[in-house]
Amino acid sequence: MLEFSKMDTISVKNLVKTYQVFKKEPGILGTFKSLVSRKYEKVKAVDDISFSIKEGELVGFIGPNGAGKTTTLKCLSGLLYPTSGEISVLNFKPWQRKRQFLTNISFVMGQKNQLWWDLPAIETFLLNKEIFEINDSQFKKTLGELVDLLDAKDILNIQVKRLSLGQRMKCELIAALIHLPKVLFLDEPTIGLDVVMQEKLREFVKSYNKNFHSTIILTSHYMEDVQNLAKRVIVINFGKIVFDGLLTELVKKKAPYKLISFMERNKDNFVKIKKLGKIIEQDFPKLTIRVSSKDSNRIASQILDNFTVEDLTIEEADIAEIIREVFEKSKK
Amino acid sequence: MELKKYFKIWYFLTTIATQIALTSRLGAILFLIGKLLRFALFLVFIMVIYSQTQGIQGYSFWQVLFFFATFNLIDTASQFLLREVYRFRYYVLNGTFDYFLTKPMSPLFRSLFGGSDILDIPMLAISIIFVYYSTFKLTTVAPIDLIIYGLLVINALIIALAIHIVVISIGVLTTEVDNTIMLYRDLTQMGRIPVDVYREPISWIITFVIPIGVMMTFPAKALMGLLSTQFVLISIFLSLTIFFLCLRFWKYAIKNYSSVSS
Amino acid sequence: MKKYWQIAKITFSETTAYRLNFVMWRVRVVLQLLTIYFLWQAILPRGAKILNYDHSQILTYILGTSLIWSFVMASRSQSIADEINSGSLSNFLIKPINYFSYHFFRDIGDKAMNILFTAVELTLMYFILKPPIFIQTDPTYLALALISIFAALCLHFFINFILGTIGFISPEIWAPRFIFFIVIGFFAGSYFPLDILPANIFAIFKFLPFTYLLYFPLKVYLGQLPLEETIVGIFTTFIWTAVFALIANLAWRKGLKLYTSWGK
Repeated sequence: MLEFSKMDTISVKNLVKTYQVFKKEPGILGTFKSLVSRKYEKVKAVDDISFSIKEGELVGFIGPNGAGKTTTLKCLSGLLYPTSGEISVLNFKPWQRKRQFLTNISFVMGQKNQLWWDLPAIETFLLNKEIFEINDSQFKKTLGELVDLLDAKDILNIQVKRLSLGQRMKCELIAALIHLPKVLFLDEPTIGLDVVMQEKLREFVKSYNKNFHSTIILTSHYMEDVQNLAKRVIVINFGKIVFDGLLTELVKKKAPYKLISFMERNKDNFVKIKKLGKIIEQDFPKLTIRVSSKDSNRIASQILDNFTVEDLTIEEADIAEIIREVFEKSKK
Repeated sequence: MELKKYFKIWYFLTTIATQIALTSRLGAILFLIGKLLRFALFLVFIMVIYSQTQGIQGYSFWQVLFFFATFNLIDTASQFLLREVYRFRYYVLNGTFDYFLTKPMSPLFRSLFGGSDILDIPMLAISIIFVYYSTFKLTTVAPIDLIIYGLLVINALIIALAIHIVVISIGVLTTEVDNTIMLYRDLTQMGRIPVDVYREPISWIITFVIPIGVMMTFPAKALMGLLSTQFVLISIFLSLTIFFLCLRFWKYAIKNYSSVSS
Repeated sequence: MKKYWQIAKITFSETTAYRLNFVMWRVRVVLQLLTIYFLWQAILPRGAKILNYDHSQILTYILGTSLIWSFVMASRSQSIADEINSGSLSNFLIKPINYFSYHFFRDIGDKAMNILFTAVELTLMYFILKPPIFIQTDPTYLALALISIFAALCLHFFINFILGTIGFISPEIWAPRFIFFIVIGFFAGSYFPLDILPANIFAIFKFLPFTYLLYFPLKVYLGQLPLEETIVGIFTTFIWTAVFALIANLAWRKGLKLYTSWGK
């Protein structure tokens, strides 16, 4: 079912990553004990996962905290050495950290800056220019394009510590993309940002993906990121992949239902209508029922024909709710 | 091509580090004063000893000063070049080290040399002048001995480099850096005076096991014509061996790196 | 009063909270001591003499000053400058606690820890290195030595406190402390007994406060000072302590005015 071809930009086979965590007892006695003999336990952060991603895809990695998303991303970028399994990114083994590989990737960690705090952002860009060996004209061109896309013309020469959080975020992105990486790893990029900035960031990532055709993996535990950005999602929990496919498929598969909401002022009808589906919310005359997706249209027309309802709406199940259920199920 | 790129980056990073250091000028000046004081007071100490006793183990006043001058030169030079190591713990803890690893530039290079700051240069200049001056005060020095001196000073810097590589490797594995580096500094302090002054077995341990003697005492002894060729060769062999072992250790540490959790 | 002893106790156990730091700190202290010990062992081998110090006396001096150092100099009061800078000083200002006393007792907790370990280390060193040290047996000298050590303790407390108040006027904490540490190390006599200096220079040292932190108490212990000189010395220590106490108080009040005007 999973086919790995040279066309895949990223391919992961049976990746496992375990950590050793030391256990220390509290107190002074525990202190001396731990100097002599240490108890450690192995934690499997990533437990045999496999997937592949093609060039230009924008994939969302979702999972609760500690699910293994960040660890996977760090293995893909070469930061961590996998315990077992195979990884191939741009036909390189990431942990070998070959020059060619590193020149074509970028890793952005939410809330962790790569900008020099006391200096204007442009200094960091210039430093990256040297590190990535970008020539002058290419540098000017890319910088110009990114500055336009992000509307960051006036903030390049101000000390980073004086910039607002939103401005800093823009400069971080420029610093991360100045070398036009083919693969972009975004680890919790929206964390700590307010709602407006989250929106802006998502917009940018979408347009960057479209304009520059880079492959992007984004991890998040915010549902809005996933809903608005990624068509394809990989759901991870407890180090295992729980779902890998289109978001719409996930919805269909896990929650093949729709919610119908309306107002029915006639008390008798109200009681009758309640029987048509599972009651989610009722507060006379308002009612929300849940029906299976395939029946939703039929039932909706039935309601409209036989009853005098007002403000009828049909909604998708809440994606956040669905995903939460998926996490709950995978606990067992 | 490579070398040029790295030199350019080193220069860039040094100007950045200097700009940042200059933002707290008072602190910088005070530290400079403190270092000068430390240097001067030790000189006074040696002068007091030599004015009241027969001195240290048969060495003349200017010989002992030359040992101190050599120590100072090697110490300040290695601190100037490797200043970034003192910030390493901070980088590992706040995730900046992850950025070192994901860029196409040697993370080892970045962690060692990325932060030389100009404010170390006055001290370095003073140590060079001091070495120069005290050389003249010694009885005639053979030119060959001068060359060997230079060679062994570079040798000492290689050992210092190797030790700093171990320090940051330990930092990668355990995030503990400050104590290790201060331990190194305390040990090298013992090299302010010729290490053969210490009683055995300390003297032997300090010379070869923790190669302070090879670093600080041997170059000076060579200049004074007191070091046999065999020891010159041993010194070079030792430093190259240690250096390669330390590089292996660094590679091991990186493989076992588990970066700070998100 | 009980609360102050509680403070001392807490400081005592705080030092072991960071195990590795603690162990490394002790290792470094021992190393520094060994360095100067071996140096003097080489300068003054058995039989040699410098002024009125022979081999055993000089080694006693070096080991003794190290022990006294742990008692007199050990202090947590570098946190004063930190507390000012971070604003946590405000927490103290609203509590019914005297800031001076608070830090004094904090220091006691720290000194207790220091002495404990220094004593252990020195004992170990004694058995391994077998230094020919001089043990004072005359009770008068011992009593006087203890008094002068206590006086030195008070003197150092106030000097240190003043240093901490620099936090009111500058965010630089480490630089002034660094310089101070170097200066004290030399002028208090931890490198060498101050009286081996030429007489005219030593005469100046007799008037400086730092001389009474390490050098003087140890001289009293070695029984090398006539009684009148000892009394005069102890008296001088107390005068200097009073001077620094006054300055500390002044610095504290002025600084507090500045601090509260920031409204931290």
